[in-house]
Amino acid sequence: MILAGLSFAQLLAVFGGAAAFATALYILKLRRRTVAVPFSKLWERILRDKEATSLFSKLKRLLSLLLQLALLALLVGALGDPRAAASIIKGRSLVVIIDASASMQATDVPPSRLGAAKEEVKRVVRGLGGSDRMLIAQMDAVTTALGPMSGDTSEIERALDHVKATDARADFPRALRFATDALRGLENPEIVIVSDGRLGEAVDATGPVHLGDVKLTFVPIGRGKRNVGITQFSVRRYPLDKTHYEVMLEVTNTGPEQEDVELTLFGDGTLVDLTKLRLKAGERLPRFYPNLSGASRTLEAKIRPLEGSVDELPADDRAFALLPERRRAKVLVVTPGNTYLEAALLLDEYLEVTLSSPLEYASKYATGNVRFDAMIFDGATPAELPRADAIFLDPRGPGSPVKVDTEIKQPGFDRIDRKHPIVRWTALDNVNISRGHKLTPEPGDKVVGSSDGGGPILVTGARGGHKFVAMGFDVRDSDLPLRVAWPLLLLNSINWFTDEDSHYISSFRTGEVWRVPVLSSSGQAKLKPPEGAEMLVPVHEGRAVYMGARAGFYELTGDESATPEAPSKDGAQVKTAFAANLLDADESNIEPVKELVVDGQKASELGGFHVGVRREIWIYLLLAAILLTAVEWITYHRRVTV
Amino acid sequence: MGLLDAVFRRGASPAKRASDDDLFDDEFQRKLDYLALVSKRVFAGRMRAERRTKKSGSGVEFADHRDYQPGDDFRYLDWNVYQRFDRLLLRLYEEEEDLAIYLILDASSSMGFGDGAKLRYAKRVCAALAYVGLANLDRVSIVTTTDRVLERMPATRGKARIFKVFRFLREVEPEGHTSLEDALKTFVAQHKRRGLAVLVSDLYDPAGFERGINVLRYNKFDPFVVHVVDEAERKPKLSGDVLLYDCETGDEREVTITAKVLERFEKAYEEYVTEIDRFCARKQVPHIRADVNIPFDELILRVFRRGGFLR
Repeated sequence: MILAGLSFAQLLAVFGGAAAFATALYILKLRRRTVAVPFSKLWERILRDKEATSLFSKLKRLLSLLLQLALLALLVGALGDPRAAASIIKGRSLVVIIDASASMQATDVPPSRLGAAKEEVKRVVRGLGGSDRMLIAQMDAVTTALGPMSGDTSEIERALDHVKATDARADFPRALRFATDALRGLENPEIVIVSDGRLGEAVDATGPVHLGDVKLTFVPIGRGKRNVGITQFSVRRYPLDKTHYEVMLEVTNTGPEQEDVELTLFGDGTLVDLTKLRLKAGERLPRFYPNLSGASRTLEAKIRPLEGSVDELPADDRAFALLPERRRAKVLVVTPGNTYLEAALLLDEYLEVTLSSPLEYASKYATGNVRFDAMIFDGATPAELPRADAIFLDPRGPGSPVKVDTEIKQPGFDRIDRKHPIVRWTALDNVNISRGHKLTPEPGDKVVGSSDGGGPILVTGARGGHKFVAMGFDVRDSDLPLRVAWPLLLLNSINWFTDEDSHYISSFRTGEVWRVPVLSSSGQAKLKPPEGAEMLVPVHEGRAVYMGARAGFYELTGDESATPEAPSKDGAQVKTAFAANLLDADESNIEPVKELVVDGQKASELGGFHVGVRREIWIYLLLAAILLTAVEWITYHRRVTV
Repeated sequence: MGLLDAVFRRGASPAKRASDDDLFDDEFQRKLDYLALVSKRVFAGRMRAERRTKKSGSGVEFADHRDYQPGDDFRYLDWNVYQRFDRLLLRLYEEEEDLAIYLILDASSSMGFGDGAKLRYAKRVCAALAYVGLANLDRVSIVTTTDRVLERMPATRGKARIFKVFRFLREVEPEGHTSLEDALKTFVAQHKRRGLAVLVSDLYDPAGFERGINVLRYNKFDPFVVHVVDEAERKPKLSGDVLLYDCETGDEREVTITAKVLERFEKAYEEYVTEIDRFCARKQVPHIRADVNIPFDELILRVFRRGGFLR
């Protein structure tokens, strides 16, 4: 037996002082108030019986004092926190990893798998030995330690209360690496995984996780299998008609039985479509909603099991998407006259086109007083670079963003950077060009198209904080204006300038690192998640970086006019929104796994935790003190010890 | 310790005691006149200036017969009875004499317990009875006792001597412990002339009140007991753990006072009072319970009604 609290000498001093105090109080208590009576013989009559037991009364008083001293001894003993030496030696170091992935929201066990997991862990905590130490960690897309490694059960239970469900999938290898790191160098290390077991292989980019001598214990949670979830959900505007959009979604039945569900699609909270679906076991059912129109910005899909069907995971029954906001782009076209160019720009009704001659530009717009989202210089290169994003068609002269080199005869788009957004959905391979000029890009510029014999003929880049697209030939010297690629190339370029990209992501996946475009001069932006308080997130290269674990609509607030060169001074803010979804068929499959194998080691069952039996002796000392107090109270009030 | 106890425990009592200066004020004396008047009118017939003793003697009033014993005076033989019943009976006559009234006031510490209400009340009762006796031309004597005879006021007669009575009673202070037997033995030894002995006491005698009364009975006094009681002593206001001590004997006793204990004490008190009632009834001793809360003149009238004091 050893003392983990106060030392024996300290306990002795405390007990001595307290006992002396109690005895003094006791003596004071025994000194009774004296009261005169006229005839004590009358009192003798009623006290005759008591007198016969006066010796016993004295003994009882002594017993009362002894009871109080015993009480003190117990309390002082509890201060010492005595523990069995054996329990110190056998103390375990435990890292309990609680799976908080989306599948743990399944309601096949009440109240949910996560709730059941927390209850299981609570039982484990109550069965902790006096020398056991435990750390609680939440496992989802990341692994989060919710408290220090501690033997204090109340502290552990407080940490347990902070475990919250997420809409992300669990990163099992990361959690294991965290646990093995936390247990390094500790005695009797043990990892307890509390999960439904759908964790995948314990392998990451660096290879399989090795547990070493760490014991692995698995507490399986859950028993249900039946679930239908939305596993894909995407929306996009049509490139050439941005007033219309199409929606694609996929509903998957991951359960072993046929299920009937009702699929509902909402646009800005208004019902757009309602369908009843029948899905066979394991079936993936894609659905398309083409040519939808309207002012819808937010889209939400919901499924609901019909009568007789079961859907045990609510986390994948909703999916969210956001259409890119449409706004009118002001475009200045500086041209001596080009029907093909003007006709192509008429295709997008959201473009506000201003035509100008080169002379008018020099006198009216070159100063930058009038702001445009994009400028197109058709064969007329300005003397200075414009203060706006610009397309240069057949640039010449010193005002060109790139150096215009030698003339090329019959160039072609022999090499195309097809990943570049300005050439998306275009077919430029067989465009016939009679002549053009080689463009010499500067470092940092990107060659999007080049001719094998001549060199770059389509270059993009940025000058003075403004993007540009330079094309090294006059379109009228080619058959490009006769192709669909011509207007697409123009509109893609303008979209690239205005960030109204057809490559827009309608929703992010939970559990992944999101990079959301945002303007910010301070290097951070405010993010308001679907639940909880607003937070600041870092902005790197014009994109807010955040790993989200909740599905729903997010709101991001940045500086409206901020650019790297001209940060916003007036503090004007602009809000953008985006959506996040689980959309993970593996996570939607909720069938629990009963066995867990890591590093060739099969996880053992939970053992060694005897619920209700604590090894801290001080608790029992305290209980005994309370019991003695109760005895003293009862005997006093029943006049046994007085 | 004992000395300190004596100072702390007993010192406070007299300070609280009301002054005896106004004990026999004008109002009291008017009530005495009233009582004397009432005693003559209402109880007329039993009131005579001259009283008869129970002993037979040479008076003129026939009292009784008794069998002839050798040596008796032949002159008192009732020859008519002898003729009719053939028995020799002697005619007895009541002897006439003035009555001696002894007012025996218990002046022990228990009578002065608390605010001394019992002693003050007893003094007033004694004064009233003395006045009535003096007014009836009886020989009134007052004796204060504890475990012995403390003070004596010699026998006196006539209403005018009431102020002597007042002076005597004013001087009485509670002290000592009660032993009626010892005190009354001294009393009867000192008073050869028998008469009415009015014992005014709370009868808190550890040796037993019976012994004291019996001393009077056995010595041919006519005892009359005025039992002074205080209702506050029946229901003492006590609670919790206390150390009780007897104000006379100093005996101590630790008690935890609960409602149950108080209930039992009240019962014991009742039993004690009932014992006194029964004893007096059994021994045909005129007895009256004098509650200090009853006006003293009302009590005196009760005494008259009870009989034994006025004949």
